[in-house]
Order: sequence, then structure tokens, then C-alpha cells
Amino acid sequence: MSSVSKSAAAVPEHKSTAKAQAFRRGIMYALPDWVMIIVLFFVPIVLLVIMACSRWSLLGGNRGTNFPDNFVKVFQHKLFWPSIGFTLEYTVIVTIFLLVLGLGMALIVQESTKWNNVLRTCFLLPSATGLASASLLFYALYSPQVGPVTKMLSALGLMQDGGSVLATGQSALWATIIVIVWRFSGYYMLLMMIGLQAIPGDLYEAARMDGAGTWRIFRSITLPLMKPTIVMCLVYCVTGSILAFDQFFILTKGGPNNSTMTVVQLIYNFAFDSKKDLGMAAALSLIVLIALVIINSIQMRGMRDNTK
Amino acid sequence: MSFNKVTRALAGIAAAAMLIPLAACGGSGSSGTASTEGIPAKGTDDGTEITLWTRSPLERQAKNVVEAYNKSHKNQVKLEIIPNDDMEGKVGGASQTDSLPDLLAGDVVRIPYWSSEGIFADLTKQIDGLDNLKDLQQGHIEAGTVDGAKHTLPFITDVSVMVWNKNLYKEAGLDPEQGPKSIDEFVEQAKKVAALNKTDVAGSYLAGQSGGALVFDLFPSVWADGESVMNDDGTEATLNNDSMKAVLDAYKELANTTNGLGAGSKEETGATWTAPFANGKIGVMPYPNTATTALFEAEKDGGFEVGVAPIPGTKEGSSSTFLGGDAMGISKDSKHVAQAWNFLYWLMQSDTQKEVFADQGDTASNVETLKTAYNDADPRVQTINSVIIDGNGKTPKSPAFNEAFNAAGSPWQLLVQNAVWGNGDLKSDNQAVTDVLSAQ
Amino acid sequence: MTTPLWKRVIARVLEGLLALIFISPLIWVVVCSFSPQPGSAQSKGWGVANYLTLFGYQEGLPKYLFNSIVVSLVAVVFSVVVCTLAGYSFSRFDYPGRNLGFMVTLSILMVPYASLLIPLMVWFKDIGLNDTLLGVGLVITLFQLPMSTFIMRNAFDAIPKDMEEAAMVDGCNSFQALFKILVPVVKPSMVTVGLLAFLEAWNNFMIPLYLSSSAKSTLPLAMVNMRQQTMGVIDYGATEAGVVVLLIPCAILFLALQKYYVKGFMAGAVKG
Repeated sequence: MSSVSKSAAAVPEHKSTAKAQAFRRGIMYALPDWVMIIVLFFVPIVLLVIMACSRWSLLGGNRGTNFPDNFVKVFQHKLFWPSIGFTLEYTVIVTIFLLVLGLGMALIVQESTKWNNVLRTCFLLPSATGLASASLLFYALYSPQVGPVTKMLSALGLMQDGGSVLATGQSALWATIIVIVWRFSGYYMLLMMIGLQAIPGDLYEAARMDGAGTWRIFRSITLPLMKPTIVMCLVYCVTGSILAFDQFFILTKGGPNNSTMTVVQLIYNFAFDSKKDLGMAAALSLIVLIALVIINSIQMRGMRDNTK
Repeated sequence: MSFNKVTRALAGIAAAAMLIPLAACGGSGSSGTASTEGIPAKGTDDGTEITLWTRSPLERQAKNVVEAYNKSHKNQVKLEIIPNDDMEGKVGGASQTDSLPDLLAGDVVRIPYWSSEGIFADLTKQIDGLDNLKDLQQGHIEAGTVDGAKHTLPFITDVSVMVWNKNLYKEAGLDPEQGPKSIDEFVEQAKKVAALNKTDVAGSYLAGQSGGALVFDLFPSVWADGESVMNDDGTEATLNNDSMKAVLDAYKELANTTNGLGAGSKEETGATWTAPFANGKIGVMPYPNTATTALFEAEKDGGFEVGVAPIPGTKEGSSSTFLGGDAMGISKDSKHVAQAWNFLYWLMQSDTQKEVFADQGDTASNVETLKTAYNDADPRVQTINSVIIDGNGKTPKSPAFNEAFNAAGSPWQLLVQNAVWGNGDLKSDNQAVTDVLSAQ
Repeated sequence: MTTPLWKRVIARVLEGLLALIFISPLIWVVVCSFSPQPGSAQSKGWGVANYLTLFGYQEGLPKYLFNSIVVSLVAVVFSVVVCTLAGYSFSRFDYPGRNLGFMVTLSILMVPYASLLIPLMVWFKDIGLNDTLLGVGLVITLFQLPMSTFIMRNAFDAIPKDMEEAAMVDGCNSFQALFKILVPVVKPSMVTVGLLAFLEAWNNFMIPLYLSSSAKSTLPLAMVNMRQQTMGVIDYGATEAGVVVLLIPCAILFLALQKYYVKGFMAGAVKG
């Protein structure tokens, strides 16, 4: 923080007392935030960078620098590209579902009536469960031993009697997506609803006067005006999905046969399961971090250009 | 909002944060090597609190042991249960911060790696000084031996045995007192049960996504035939042998039979792999003996009758078992080595073994106890003990065992998946296992 | 322009079905936690045996509840205070480093938290926070900062500036202005931030797993532990009871605070 106080002192006091004061106050209020970030975020990140550049095993500890070996090993690992592919597939599907469902549900319940309040509560309640408990709950639901899902699906002839929906990569992927959609769509509905309510009502009325149909109104009024909200949801959803971990950790452990291995699951696997190599895990974490910064800056740019 | 700024900011601030003294952060494995010099042969009992970590599936046994010790000693052991799946991470984290417990117990297949990474204190002198060393189950001592230095003693022994459901056997017209004596008989009997065509009932069961359960189930048959699964150094897989092939083919045959393998076998991650048998839905399968106690109790409460036999090889007349379970050592970070040794010394005595294991219906790790303390026990418990006493059982040992066999999605797991539910090439799949084993 | 009755009826039925789909897993888990099930404590007849298993597990449910409550309180208090102040700073004062601060706060969102845990363990040991409930609460707070600061900043942005300027003219300093004038207005957003922090702290199990020992473990961690007490068997009954116990306070708070967080999010969304 020394550079900060220096630049403050360099400002001629009589000229911009107001500026200096704003600066002083601004920093003061942001101070707790900065302290937390520096102590709990930057220090571990620095340690992470050091780990990524070192031979650092889980049990053996630090055994000296070996840059760039960890990165090379990560890139050469046979699950590296498949896990990226799977993570992207999962992200795209989840994002589409959550945004479409979130917006759709928001449109259904946006008017405040008794019936809609009931609906809203039903949609929102799953969001009150933790991701881990939601995953455990569905783990039980999907279990061929205690859960009804297998029985229902086999009664419909959709799957073998007594099989599990977590049996193949594709069905495990969809089973996980269902958990996430169930847990989060209420949350996105809330965000979308708020965006919808910010659209002035007279715009709709004017359009209706001009004889525009529901679909037309949705396309030329709702969607464009919802763009900032949608982009915000997009950023959260994409970031959250790329970092997906808990749900796969509990439901599939990356299986069957590594077919649902997400990138963060692979980080966990490197660190604690197969490799027990914190160096490789840290290297992959940094790769993910950099990729996310790039992806998010592209999404943010998209938002800025289009809202001007 | 521009995220370029974030990149720049992160870089800049990361550089600044580098200046924060991080010297102390570099946890290193060698920093806390507990000294084992000058410990009395029986350890010290002076009212110290010692900590013990074990994994959750062995909670019941560990609790019995700790209770018995605390009742009879001034030292008090504080038991901490770690979730099975998170054991490695928790131990790793504690090792980085030099905060391992005094006593650490772990899955015996993980012990070679832990020992070679210097997690345990060297107990060679103490272990060699035990009067009854030769009576102890050697697999668990061998697992913790690195370059001749011994680190671990057996804590809880878990072996694999063949179990069958006598009620289903009767229904299927099989002799309920005769379990399979060879792999062929195993298939034959499983098929008979499968042919009952009852809802949810299947011939056998396999934990297809659990490398750990698969080694436990399948290796004994290979060993029974005198074949091996790895070379002596644990650097090369030797799974491409006729016995392994015969065993895998047997399961493949069951997989292709209606109701041959229980529903969910292919995707069973091990989390629920003993449940279908325990619920009376499976005819015959290899099973962990620690889970048989619950079966016998359920039988007393009116559950189905259970038969137990050693796991056979492909040919009649030989059997083997996987000497699994947990071994225990004193950690490098222990500050109470003499007190911790007092616990281990006590645990190894045959009286203790009788009290905490035999009398509770669990398996002792002391062969003398196994021979003498179970006279009144269920004959099936004696059958289980005999597979330990006969010395045919093995504990595979390799520092890379976990990655090659136990880890989720391990090459061994893929090998079994390919061989049982696909069209596997045993030779190339074996090579994939070797690639991992030899990389260490 | 009224929609025909049959259309409305069909819409109602479909909406009702959708709501039912969302709510049914919750109903199922509540029912199952009391129902008889082989392989659980409640094997014959209906009853609360699964909850008794939960209650008597290791250190006992009250201990884990206590730990969970402490961790949640730490997370809620720190999230609300830190994010309100930071949101105020990032919204109201124009100074070099403001955007930087905001951006860096948001960037926490982009780090896979599983990979920060080992560095945090090492670091906590050095600063004396290892194996403390405070430490666990603080780390949970850290991961709340991005979303919550975002909400708070936008909440302040939505308030016209002359409100506190008028107060300042009356002789209030910025701190008094914040507390007397602005906090009442942004209260819904603060409640939202607190609620989000509570939900996270109450439910997270990875962070306590790595940063605390069993005497300091929280309810979800104890639950995950309990699930696998016997080799190869999952006690589904106890798991379901655990899900219910975890769910109840969250659901109650969620419903009770609905009017606040709808407003709170709304204030947060003005600028998108």
C-alpha cells in the first residue's frame, strides 16, 4: 500500500482537498475488503503460483523449483483435453437450460398474484438447499436401491430394470444437469424477474396499441431490454459451470470410466487421488484461472458493445 | 467493465504479495521427523492425550479399540474419523502443515506410498523388539517397510472371502452348505440363482467402478493359482495371465447372462457395493469380512442365512485372500512418540487382540489369537480366520498402487470394464497399468 | 383481450405440474427420512430413528449445530459489514484504484476453490487461524465477496446522490450519512447478502473438511462422514435425515425473508 499513500501525498492539497478526501474515504471503506482479499486470496494465490512451479507432492512437500515441468505434465495428461471438452459441453448445456428456464419461469410468475406467489415459492425452494445436500438428495433419488427414478424410468421402458441413470457417461451428464437445473433455475428466475420488472410498463402498452403480438413484443422489447441482465446471468452461469465440482464429486466422481471428468474434478484428482501432486494441480488451477479471465472478458466486451 | 485490468492487477499485486514473508509457508516433509530414540520397550503411560486418525468405514472397530485402551490406561486416545474419500487430502494437508496426529491408520494399499514419502516415524527397533513379532499379520508390516526400515503394524485386518445366500441357494436347488470351490463352480452357482428369475435378485455382484473393491474381489483367485498381479518391486503389472483372463471371462459370462450380475454392477463406485448382498438380493460374491459381522447379526434377527468360504482359484483345491484393512504407524509429527508406542505395544498383545477384536466378533491381527481365541465363535468366523492363518493371502505393494488400481478411473478399473462389459485387449490394458506403475 | 378459459386452465395445469416437479424431491426426502428402509436405523415402521442416529453421531448433533451456527454467524457478519462498506466505497467515491478494487473482488469468482484449500491450510497455520471456526467462516466469506459486493455496489448506485449530500450539509460525516441515511435504504440488499452468506456457510462441507478437525466440524461435514460408516454401504436413511435437518433453517429463512431479497436483488440489478 505504500505506493498508494505516496500518490496521495503528491496531490497538491489546496487544489483538490475534495479529491483527497474522496480518496481517503474511499480507501477507508474499501479497506476491510482489501484486507480480506490480500490475506485470504492473494497470499494463497502466490503460494499456488509457487506450487505450480515446484516439485511439490501432497505428502512430501516442496522439493524445489521445476518450472515448467508441471505445466508440460498437465498438457500431456491423457485426461486433460477430454476434461476440457466435457466441461465445455456441460457448460453450454447448463447455461442454455438455466437461462431459458430462468427467463421462461420469470415470464410466467412476474405478475404478482396469489397463484404466482405459490409458483414462485415452489420454484425458489430448491435454491435454499446447499449444492452438496442437493447432490446427496439426488444421489439417493437416482440410487437403484432406494430411489424412485430407476423404477419410474424402467416402468416407462426407458431403461433396463434396476439399472442406474449414472451408468453411462451421457446419462450421468444429464442426471447431473437435472440436479443443477433443479437447484439453480429458481435463482436465475429471480435474477431475470428483477430485470423484467425494470422494463417500463408503458413500453409494452405502446407496443400493444400498435398491434404487436406476444411473440413480437418479446422479441423487440423484452429481449433487447433484458440484455444486461441476461449477460450478467451468462457470466455467472458460465463461470459457475466451468468451475463445477461438488455435484460431480458427489454424484459421479468423474465416472463412469472418466467420462464425466470436469476440469476442477481433474484438479482434485491430481492433488488428492491419482497423482498426489500439488504442483500439477496448482498448474492446472492457474490454467483454468487464466482461461476464465479470457472467457469472461470476451463476454463482458460483448455486453458493452451491444448496450451502447 | 474490463477484465484486462483484472489480469494486470492480479499480476501486479501477486508480485507485491511475494514480498510478504513466505519462508514459513514452504512446508516440507522432512521437518518434523519424530525421534524414536530411547523409548521404553512398552512405551510410556503417563496420562498424555494422544490423537489417532482413522477412516470412516472402520469407525466401529476403531472405537472399540480406543475405548478399551482409555479404560485401562492413564494415556487417553482421542479418535478422529476422516471420510474415506478425503483421507488422502486430509493427511496431505496435515503433512504440509506438520500437524499429523500421533497415530495414523490408513488403508494398507496406501501405506507403501505414505511410508516412502516419510509420513511415519521409523519404528524398526521397536517392532523388531516385539516378543510376538512372528505372530503378527506380516502383510501390514511389510507394507510399511521401506529399505528395510519398518514403520507400521497391523491395526484392523480385512480379508476378502466368498459369501453366498443359503436361502437363495435352496430355492435354486443348490446345496446350501457348499460354496464354490473353483471359479467355474462360482459361475455355475451364480447362474442357477440368476435362473430363479426373481425380481431384483441376481447371481453375483461386482463393483465395476471401484478399483479398490475389484482388486479385493478378483486378485485372490489369481494368487490362488500361483500367478501374480505385479512384479516384486511393484513397478510392472503382470495381469496378462491365464488366471486373470479366466476370472474376467467368468464375470463376462455372468454379465451376459440375464440377472447374472446385479443391477448397477457396471457403475457401482464402491459406495454401496456390499448393500445388494446384505439386502438378500445376490446369490454369491466375494465380500469383505469386516462387513460379514453385520450379516451374521442380521441372520440372528431373522435375516437370510449366509455361507462363507475362501475365494477359490480357477482350479479346485486352492484358495487365497486379499489381506486388506488398515495398518497403523506413529506419524513424523508426533510429539508423544513413547506414549503412542505404548498404545501400539498394547494393541499387539494377544490379550488385547482377544478383548478388542475376538470378543467383538472382529478379526484379530495376531495369528496366535486367531488360533486360540475363537473356539466358541461361529464356525464361519473360523473359516474367515483360517484364510489369514494359512498364509496364502497377499497384500500387493507398490508406491503407485493407488493411481494404478484404486483411484477413480484407474487403468485397472478400465481394464476390468473393458474385459467384463466390453471387448478388452488384456495385453494393452495391462500395459496401461504398467505405464502408471513404472512412472514412479 | 382476455385469454379463453380453456387456455388459462391448461396454463394453470402445466404451471402446477412444473411447480410440482420442483417441489417433489423435497417432499420425497422428507417422507423418506421417516419411512422404513432396509439398511438404515429406521428399518421397520415409520419413526424418527434416522434422526436419532444423526443426533447421537460422534460428538452429537448439538455440537455440530453449534459449530455450524458459529461459522454461519461469522460468515454473515463479515459478509454484510465488509460488502456494505466496500459497496459504499466502490459506488460513492471516485478515486484511483476504485475500479481495480472492484475488479479484483469479482475475480475471486474465477478461482476454483478446491485448489486454494491447501495453500490456505499452510497459510492459516502460520497466522494461527488453523482449526478455528473463525478461520472457516472467513474463508467462506471470501467466496461470498464477489456476488455480495456486486449487489451492494449496485444497491448504492441506485440511491440518488443528493440524499446523503443533504445529510452532509446538515453536518453529518460520511460515516454518519452511511449509517443514518443510506443503510435503511439498502437494508433489503444487506439482508440478501446475509442470507446468501448464511446459505453458503450452513451448507458448505469442503472448506470445513480441510480447515478444521472433527471437534470443530460443521453439520454437513458430519453428515458426509456418517454416510459411509460401514464399508460399502450408504446409510440412506441418515443421509436423508441430514438433508432435511440442513434444509429446514434454510427454507424457513428463505421464505421468511422473501420480500427482502426480491427487493434486494432488484436494487442490485438496476445497473446490471
